[in-house]
Amino acid sequence: MGEPAALRATRSSDVNVRTSPTGRLRERDAIGSSIAVRDAVKRYGSFHAVDRISIDIEPGEFITLLGPSGSGKTTLLNLVAGFQSLDSGEILVDGKPVHNVPTHKRGFGMVFQSYALFPNMTVSQNVAFPLRMAGVDRATAERRVAETLEIMRLTEHAAKSPSQMSGGQQQRVAIARAIVRRPRVVLMDEPLSALDRRLRESIQIEIRDLHQTIGSTILFVTHDQGEALTMSDRIAVLNAGKIVQIGRPLDIYRHPTDRFVASFVGESNLIEAEILQKRGSTLTMKNRAGYVFSAESRDTIDVGRATVLVRPERIAVSNEPNANSTPVSVTSAIFLGEILRIEAQMEGGEPLLIRCTDMADRPLPAVGDRLHVSWGAADCWVLA
Amino acid sequence: MTSASIGVHADRPAELDLVRRLKDPALLLLPALAFLAFIYLLPLIDLIRISVSGPSWSSYFARVFAIPLYWDSLVRTMQISVTVAGLCLLFGYPTALLIHRSRGIAQVLIATAIVLPYFIAILIRTYAWMVLLGRNGPVNKLLVSIGILSEPVQLLFNRGTVLLGMTAVLLPLMVLTIYSSVARLDQSLTRAALASGAGPIAAFWRVLLPLTLPGMGAGFLLVFVAAIGFFITPTLLGGPGDQMFAMHITQQADSVTSEGFLQALGVVLLTITLAVVAVAGRFLGFEFIWGGRKLTEAAPRATDRHAADVGRRSFGASLADLFGWPLLRLFGRLPASCGTWTVRLMGGLVIAILILPIIVVMIISFSSASYLTFPPPGFSLRWYEQFFSDSNWMRAFWTSLVVAAMSAGIAIVLGASAALGIVRSSIRGKSAIMLLLVSPIIVPPVVLGLSLYSLFLRFDLVGSTFGLAAAHAIGGLPIVVVILSASLQGVDTRLEQAAAVHGASSLTVFRLVTLPAIMPGLAAATFFAFLHSFDELVLTLFLSSAQLKTLPLMLWGDINYRLNPVLAVVSTLEVLLVIAGLVLARPVLATSRRAT
Repeated sequence: MGEPAALRATRSSDVNVRTSPTGRLRERDAIGSSIAVRDAVKRYGSFHAVDRISIDIEPGEFITLLGPSGSGKTTLLNLVAGFQSLDSGEILVDGKPVHNVPTHKRGFGMVFQSYALFPNMTVSQNVAFPLRMAGVDRATAERRVAETLEIMRLTEHAAKSPSQMSGGQQQRVAIARAIVRRPRVVLMDEPLSALDRRLRESIQIEIRDLHQTIGSTILFVTHDQGEALTMSDRIAVLNAGKIVQIGRPLDIYRHPTDRFVASFVGESNLIEAEILQKRGSTLTMKNRAGYVFSAESRDTIDVGRATVLVRPERIAVSNEPNANSTPVSVTSAIFLGEILRIEAQMEGGEPLLIRCTDMADRPLPAVGDRLHVSWGAADCWVLA
Repeated sequence: MTSASIGVHADRPAELDLVRRLKDPALLLLPALAFLAFIYLLPLIDLIRISVSGPSWSSYFARVFAIPLYWDSLVRTMQISVTVAGLCLLFGYPTALLIHRSRGIAQVLIATAIVLPYFIAILIRTYAWMVLLGRNGPVNKLLVSIGILSEPVQLLFNRGTVLLGMTAVLLPLMVLTIYSSVARLDQSLTRAALASGAGPIAAFWRVLLPLTLPGMGAGFLLVFVAAIGFFITPTLLGGPGDQMFAMHITQQADSVTSEGFLQALGVVLLTITLAVVAVAGRFLGFEFIWGGRKLTEAAPRATDRHAADVGRRSFGASLADLFGWPLLRLFGRLPASCGTWTVRLMGGLVIAILILPIIVVMIISFSSASYLTFPPPGFSLRWYEQFFSDSNWMRAFWTSLVVAAMSAGIAIVLGASAALGIVRSSIRGKSAIMLLLVSPIIVPPVVLGLSLYSLFLRFDLVGSTFGLAAAHAIGGLPIVVVILSASLQGVDTRLEQAAAVHGASSLTVFRLVTLPAIMPGLAAATFFAFLHSFDELVLTLFLSSAQLKTLPLMLWGDINYRLNPVLAVVSTLEVLLVIAGLVLARPVLATSRRAT
């Protein structure tokens, strides 16, 4: 896709930014702002769209707000953008409260789900719009637009009307418009959800690389957990107006704090089990099917029952029983290419989802087949 | 089904061909087209024929333009129409924005304040202004009580009241046209402008205004075209110096001697109207008349159009740059909230202008005074009693109901079948046919009345109930066609296919799928066609007789003769009728707006 060329173009433009004659676009402008949200509340009647959310975003961080629809992620983004005002709490950008700053004076870039390209302007006029609004002189604006179009590989489309372009191209124009001013913060509201899967994946990588080169703080909203895992430095998982967990993608995936995060991010088996014994940090547990396994514990848990997360790809499958295994019966088996997705039932009737790599010597299991599964202490995560 | 018939009738292709042709939905257009050809096109052609039947074809026209009275009146009509359209645009745009920006119950109330007057008869709304501005009206009383005037003065019968009255009558049309173009815009466009650093005023100037320019153009031209043919409002609110062109036609129609010359007057008015519409249609597409989208056939040329559009618009944009930026910098110094306040103030003013007269009239209908005065000295139902016990009023009321019901029946039967024909058939020239079906809206009613008068004389229909109902159906038909073709376009054809696949015959598909889907539209169309006839005055002036008096005709007579609170009673009843209709049609209006 010509990524290296795009990167090179970006770097050369960075040099131009530093030597820009307008003085508006000095080097420090190319670095992101910190954003701090403190106890933000937004109500619609009695419904709390955003319910006392606090979050600290580092300068230059790529942070994703992930949640199902109605979780308050878009409302939070709109609050940061200034389209809506807080009922209580505050939002600080670089330590300064912004609630009295109208949207157009916040100096952010924004990409919308519906692209929101001005249909009465050409591609280059659309991209030039933020510069014109900032009062950048025409010659500088033209140069900056040309650079940005080159970064987004849109140069040959400059004179087109947005309506003559494909969805993917339109979204790249929208991104170009959002970054042309080298804003310190770029907001993205589900920018990829209107695109088909292949295009979505290629633009995901493009946005990721763009973030590396422009260094802006990016606040990205999505309901697609795969997108969040691929792109973010950190993910904030929202549910019912609250942040339920915030952390690096790996931590969110491996160590979710509760059932909601565990089931919303990635596929999961949530197994109810009884704690038989605790020795050091290792728990010995038994589930309803009578399968006894060990798990690494957190300090807080020692006796009683707990929910254990076992990711489907961490389950070892075999046709023969061994010392550690428990039998399951297959209820469905789907061949997904490099992976087999097997749904099975444990002895107590509990369903179990298994993902394993396809292997030459293993035939596709049939419904009713018996398999033997096992997992080790490192493969499970005990939820509170 | 078709393939089965081919198997059976393979030896009789000609008959099969005939059967298939008889099933062509295009045939459904025929009744409406035949109706319009006889009662609408034929009389207009006849009108034109008579107007050129002088010694030379141009002799009548030469007389029209040679007499200063008519020439001056023509110029005056143009001036008034342009002013009214300009005023409507100036005040209508902020009002449309106000509807768009308000939420919840406020939006419903504001929209109702605009839509309600739109459906109340022009005659009644003009009468309300006469009450409001009369010597004993609230405006005079207010001015006297706060000491601006020492005694009540004559506020009526001057150019100002004509402009005010016409603007008030036509404002809803403007607001609704602009609103539909504002509401169609993606809301995130304004947000994108704000996020790109454009202040509210810059966002308005560079994004909202250019994108709603076609809507503004359509609104301006619709109002202008309607104003050119205006007759009722200038007659009632104007003085001797405010004669509009359409008024000359009705005055001349009373003197039988001016055959030919009279028709020439009508043709002049018609020509101007059609010329304006043709020029407007060239730039905006003729869809602006009925506020709809393009019909399907225009698709292939879309890309060329876009390319041209961008070229034209970037020229417009550079013009905007040249003049707009200095202005914008100037406005940029104002506090950001002043745009919002301008919208609220102007919108509020418009709502007051539209609603206050109606409220005043409704209050006066309960007055105990024997003459028009506001506030009433006391309240009573005496005028209601008088209305319901007066046999003349009651007869007129029943006549109006019967005529309106018949007229709505004609319009709905012809219009529904025409809408099916236009949406479902694949004939060429759909746009032209739609234009013909909808064109009665734009022909000045005075011209239509004049042309129908000779047709009715020839077939001895003057004073016949059926004739009058049919004449009213000319204007009802476009309403039905527009509403129903929008509903039909909103019907998901996949639902019909699904029904057919699962074994429903085409008639069953229509009964079980199509009809329920367009039912709300059908109900709304019936109501509006009924209301159109119930309110109609101008055609009725030409076509009724002493025995056939409708309610608007009685009102017209009384308004010119003496202003008394009985008229306020009739007005109040009409307002209640419209409110009831709107409440019934509310779900429909919501869906049909989404469909168009």
